Amino acid sequence: MKKILYISIVIAGIISINSCDTRDLDLTNPNELAPDTYFTNELQIQSAVNAAYSNLQTQGLYVRHSFFSLDNMAQDNEGNSQLEQNKRLFLNFTFDSSSDIIETYWGSCYSGIAKANFIIQNQDKINAILESQLSQVRKNKFIAEARFLRAYYYFLLVCRFGDIPLYDKTESVGKGRSPKADVYKLIEEDLDFASKNLLGKSTEDKGRATKEAAFAYLGKVLLYEKKYDEALVAFNNVTGFTLEPNYFDNFTEENEHGVESIFEIEFTAAYTTDASRWGAATSGEGLAEHTFRGQEYGVLDWFNVYPSTQLLNSFEAGDKRYAGSFYSPGDSYSNGTKTMPAAFSNNRAAGWKKYQNYYHRDQENTDSGINFKVMRYADVLLMKAECLALKSAPDFPAAIALITEVRSRAGLTTTIAANKTAVFNAIVHERKVELAGEQVRFDDIIRWGIASTELAGTGFTAGKNELWPIPDREASSNSNIVGQQNPNY
Amino acid sequence: MMLKIKFAIIALLIISTQNVMAQSKTIKGVVTDPSGVPLPGASINVQGTNNSASTDFDGNYALQGVNATDKITYSYVGLTSQTITVGDQTVINIKLAESTQTLNEVVIAYGSQKKDKVTGAISTVNSKDIVAVPITNAESALQGRAAGVTVIAGGSPGSNPTVLIRGLGTLNNNAPLYVIDGVTASNLSGLSPNDIESMSVLKDASTTALYGSQAFNGVIVVTTKKGKKGAGQLNFNTYTGFQTITKRYDVLNTEQYVKFASELGVDIAARAASFGNQTVDYQDEIFQTGLMQDYNLSFSNGTETSSSRYSAEILKQDGAVINTGFERYSFRANNSQKIGKLELGSNIGVSFSKRNAERTGTGRTLLEHAIKAAPYLPIYNADNLGGYQGPSAIDGQDAENPVRIQNLGYAYDKTISILGNIYAEYEIIKGLKFRSQVSLDYSNLEGRSFVPSFRDGSYTGQSFATINRNGANNQTIVFDNSLSYKTTIANKHNIDAILLIEKNENQRGTSVASGTNNITNDVDQLNNSPSTTLSYKTNKLGYVARINYDYDDKYLLAVSGRRDGSSRFGPNNRWGNFYSVAVGWNISKEAFMSDTGFSTLKLRGSIGTTGNDNFADYQYSASLPSNYYYVVNGVSVVGTSLGRAANPDLKWESKLGRNIGLDFGLFDDKFTGTIEYFNNTAKDILFNVPVPTSLGILNDNRYENIAAVNTSGWELSLGYNDRKGEFTWSANLNFGTSKNEVVALAPGVTSVIAGVVPRAGLAQMSRLTVGDPLFYMYGLVTDGIYQNQAEVNAVFTKNPGQTAVKPGDIRFKDLNGDGDITSDDRTNIGNQFPDFTYGLNLSAAYKNFDFNCFISGSKGSKIFNASIFDLQGMTRLFNSSTAVLDRAVIGSNGAVSNPDATLPRALGAPQNTAVSDRYVEDGSFTRLKNITLGYTFKGTALDKYVSKLRLYASAQNLVTWTKYSGLDPEIAGTGFDAGIDLGRYPQPKSVILGLEVSF
Repeated sequence: MKKILYISIVIAGIISINSCDTRDLDLTNPNELAPDTYFTNELQIQSAVNAAYSNLQTQGLYVRHSFFSLDNMAQDNEGNSQLEQNKRLFLNFTFDSSSDIIETYWGSCYSGIAKANFIIQNQDKINAILESQLSQVRKNKFIAEARFLRAYYYFLLVCRFGDIPLYDKTESVGKGRSPKADVYKLIEEDLDFASKNLLGKSTEDKGRATKEAAFAYLGKVLLYEKKYDEALVAFNNVTGFTLEPNYFDNFTEENEHGVESIFEIEFTAAYTTDASRWGAATSGEGLAEHTFRGQEYGVLDWFNVYPSTQLLNSFEAGDKRYAGSFYSPGDSYSNGTKTMPAAFSNNRAAGWKKYQNYYHRDQENTDSGINFKVMRYADVLLMKAECLALKSAPDFPAAIALITEVRSRAGLTTTIAANKTAVFNAIVHERKVELAGEQVRFDDIIRWGIASTELAGTGFTAGKNELWPIPDREASSNSNIVGQQNPNY
Repeated sequence: MMLKIKFAIIALLIISTQNVMAQSKTIKGVVTDPSGVPLPGASINVQGTNNSASTDFDGNYALQGVNATDKITYSYVGLTSQTITVGDQTVINIKLAESTQTLNEVVIAYGSQKKDKVTGAISTVNSKDIVAVPITNAESALQGRAAGVTVIAGGSPGSNPTVLIRGLGTLNNNAPLYVIDGVTASNLSGLSPNDIESMSVLKDASTTALYGSQAFNGVIVVTTKKGKKGAGQLNFNTYTGFQTITKRYDVLNTEQYVKFASELGVDIAARAASFGNQTVDYQDEIFQTGLMQDYNLSFSNGTETSSSRYSAEILKQDGAVINTGFERYSFRANNSQKIGKLELGSNIGVSFSKRNAERTGTGRTLLEHAIKAAPYLPIYNADNLGGYQGPSAIDGQDAENPVRIQNLGYAYDKTISILGNIYAEYEIIKGLKFRSQVSLDYSNLEGRSFVPSFRDGSYTGQSFATINRNGANNQTIVFDNSLSYKTTIANKHNIDAILLIEKNENQRGTSVASGTNNITNDVDQLNNSPSTTLSYKTNKLGYVARINYDYDDKYLLAVSGRRDGSSRFGPNNRWGNFYSVAVGWNISKEAFMSDTGFSTLKLRGSIGTTGNDNFADYQYSASLPSNYYYVVNGVSVVGTSLGRAANPDLKWESKLGRNIGLDFGLFDDKFTGTIEYFNNTAKDILFNVPVPTSLGILNDNRYENIAAVNTSGWELSLGYNDRKGEFTWSANLNFGTSKNEVVALAPGVTSVIAGVVPRAGLAQMSRLTVGDPLFYMYGLVTDGIYQNQAEVNAVFTKNPGQTAVKPGDIRFKDLNGDGDITSDDRTNIGNQFPDFTYGLNLSAAYKNFDFNCFISGSKGSKIFNASIFDLQGMTRLFNSSTAVLDRAVIGSNGAVSNPDATLPRALGAPQNTAVSDRYVEDGSFTRLKNITLGYTFKGTALDKYVSKLRLYASAQNLVTWTKYSGLDPEIAGTGFDAGIDLGRYPQPKSVILGLEVSF
């Protein structure tokens, strides 16, 4: 009898431990929401949109690698001995498909595209929110931001890689390469929607995409496609801007979102800690809101690169932009309290001033908070001039007038003959000096077809280096892309 | 009838006793334990009589009425009884040996087993070996002592060693499961080695399958010391010593460095002169002689119905690198109490530790900075904010001042851990026991670091103080209810069975907060700073059954099964079943073996399955992280987007283990040995399926149960012990091999190149290919140096236009024969896992002296020496190895002017520093891990006060025989980072003096 009692106690114990099993094994992640219950209110939508911007702040893009790779390929830079190998490869075009810089550029863009698609493919959910809770204007504006960003990332990709996998929603299987024309078509559609639904610069928060930015990029994209008349229409919608009277004011922290600014990559050093310093390579994760450019290009700091001799020589005598772009030995800095040394390290003639913090600080560090003005009005004026000069019915005087507007600010007079060659050559020169170190020139000389002469002797191989190779990881893991590497890689 | 027999026996006894009394004498003596400590309460009995005595508090006894032909039996609980024929002796001092019963009792999963009944593969390390070497973490005691167990200790004080049982079995987490007094734990860091009674390493599936989905990588079952029966004993152990690192890399002095720099196009002569052209040896500056001290006090006591043991330890250790160190205060109380058929008990340990680890600067290790730093820069400069000197742009390089990195401000971790259980056991009927146990493993870590504002050059400085806090807590509660039954039927059928239910609840949390203080260095607290907290929870439920059966101790059978459910697994695969079967044959117990000299001969084999659930929580569910940030209106805004795709099929990794072993012992087990072969096939290994980057968000976390790995190897252990008069000695040798091979990756995936090495250029240096060993190094093969352009052209036949590679650069082999050197010419350039590992332990004692010498080693591993990559890379200016003085120099004719040069030209082709066999070295080593000489004081005036007094001197890592040029050939890492020496904290040499006292 006693035995039975004991055994029942034991069994009762076993059952009691057993009874709560399956429910206890079903746990949900307390740290995150689940994707299928998302997009129920404005703040959630806004947060998803914010995420799509975050890939602009990756090491693969504007935090670190992209300014090096593009400025180096354009030969805006030369390298000091401390320039790291992976960045030096871009000076002499010795990079290949194993480059981490190419991989992270590709990855950052596609990560941004997927985040944009997450919003775009859920627009039905967004549109299902009651009008009383969120107006259609706001709904459209959020979707337009996502479409602007998707177009922006695709444009970065199509310029570097040509035909690329094209995703208009998140997928689980890698796609093959779509022709460049299809990519441009999606970019145009996205920017067209964005230009119609985004808010204007005067009403939108600083840092978000605006109607004007959408028009400017639409114009740029159409220009790259040599659709000059359509591009002109888009550029004509970029209104309400003037040039900064002082060229250097484009590159200071205090004058972010100034009168010349159309679209900026946002940075601030306010949140930097040791843990966040390096930021994400591609994903956009982490509270890293700064760029390394100040430190990397800094003449008194890491000084990995310096403006190339041929770039310095391209400036005309009296061009005020020289002093706005570069420090020379003996220049004053730190709000006029300090003087640059009589000779820079390795006796370099100049160091970068654009986007450097020396104007208000003694020293650079890895956390520069100065925004990059990736689209500014001077660029639009010169692109517009290009359209006017190259369209089927050219208007040379109007083009020359726009070039003159840009040159006047630089303190230069303008005499350009009213013919296609003269105006085009003037634009080639003007873009080189006006936009030096702003990652514009390499794309320009490629689309103009003058890279092999402009880059002669650098290691540039025509028929190969116009595009980057598809990075190894994509090439090896995407069965729809295998064997379709860009020519000669 | 029965009564009559009993009566007759008693009558006989009385008669014989009286008979003895007639020719009696008195025998006196002292009874001691194996270490010479007197045993109070030992019993002394004349065989076949009731004439007996017991020892007093000092172990003395006197037995009257003993005949010369009598045999006296000395016995003490837990020790082997010894019988002596009296002869003409009147004083008999006896040292009782460790009970073979205890020695032969092996701790296994959920219980213990007699050694001769074990059918699985188990290596055991006992307290004697654990305390023989002054180690600070218990894992280290396993190194070289258990065949097939690899332990790689970090040199950094307080760091957890890497432990591998039978090599790599998975591409993921290879860490074994630790079970301390029934509590599962991830390491032994909170446990004082002095508190450990034994460690059993369960290696094959039949011994580990009882831990089911957690047992994949083997299990280390740790039992803490319990109170011993007898009067209370107080032990005090202490040691003091020093540790130091003596090996250095040869780097350029300032004169050589300035010249080297000028040849790299950096003129720093004036800069060096401004510091007086001094040469600072940065390696000497970061290494130091560290003091280590340990104090351990324990008290043990026990009666027939209760036992208790209390201990306390203080460990203080300064590292061999400046400002590194470890302190631990640990306390433990183990108690048990029998009340009739009920036994109640608890084993509880608490420890507090503080660790100052080595720090890193801008992604480089301290050692990397030390070998790269400009040698003319002084350590200190009072003119600089913070007081240190560092590099500026004018120095042309940015290796930081390692002394500043390590010494400015502070960085430490503090940990509190509690590990314990409380249990009740009730014997329902004879042999049938019910046991209920609740266990807790709790730890809480707080990390703090503070770096004040400083500026030691243009490259390094901050205008504000940085403050970081991080916290991590981990709490596991395990409920066990079990029913065990042990019986013998008809004297031949031995049955030992257990049924168990185990519930495991784990909760973890982490927090990170960091910020800056712009206005002062005097406040090291955070205020309005961003912080991140995360929480995790894992629940598991397991049902276990095991039956061990043997017939007459000869034919052995063990069968076990476990069913595991876990919250980590996807809803489609929430439950897993694991089983094992083992058989054994004690050949030596067969009649035909009786006169062969074999005291042990056993053949055994096992097969079974285990699982690996050692991966992150919630991996099966889709994620939506809110960890993306951007700046709007000048302030940070939070972004939320897709992270990882859902995988409801996610489950444990599973392993089919097979083991066959032969145990033998000759001449009363004077000579013993074990030979073992294992072959494990792991499948369903979680593999980060390489998905195209273009998919955007889902690419880094697509884990699927898809890869397979095979691991096989041999193990051999041999032991010999002998005694000649007062000289006793023993030798134990063990040897293990482990060969691993990738059987499958994902469908269509035949190779993966990856790496987790946080260094540009090394990120893609490890590779997995089906049919090859795991994580081999993948790179180019060198073939001398191009002496002239013609030699370059001869290789680059299909790429004649290239200008990057010139005379003086390294010639690589064009393995794919395409007339160009590209990443397609890479191949397997080295396997980082050894062909075999071994350990040799020699012990001897003569009179009062004892000696122990312990050697461990490994053969055939390859190391990628990233320090050589740093020292001889010459891609940009850094201080470098003196070997760069012998680099290729290009003459005016464009050819190499010094054909004997061993290194390529400086600032040469990017290919020169591509991952290649240039940096791969033989990592084989033999290391004298420990050598100890001890002296025990006996027969002195102190005997009155202490029962044992031993003094010893010991040295660790005194000599290392290796061809490896780096600072330490023992390199940790079990994944893509395996075998890559990034400038790791080397293991120091140490010399200590120790004292053991028992009262």
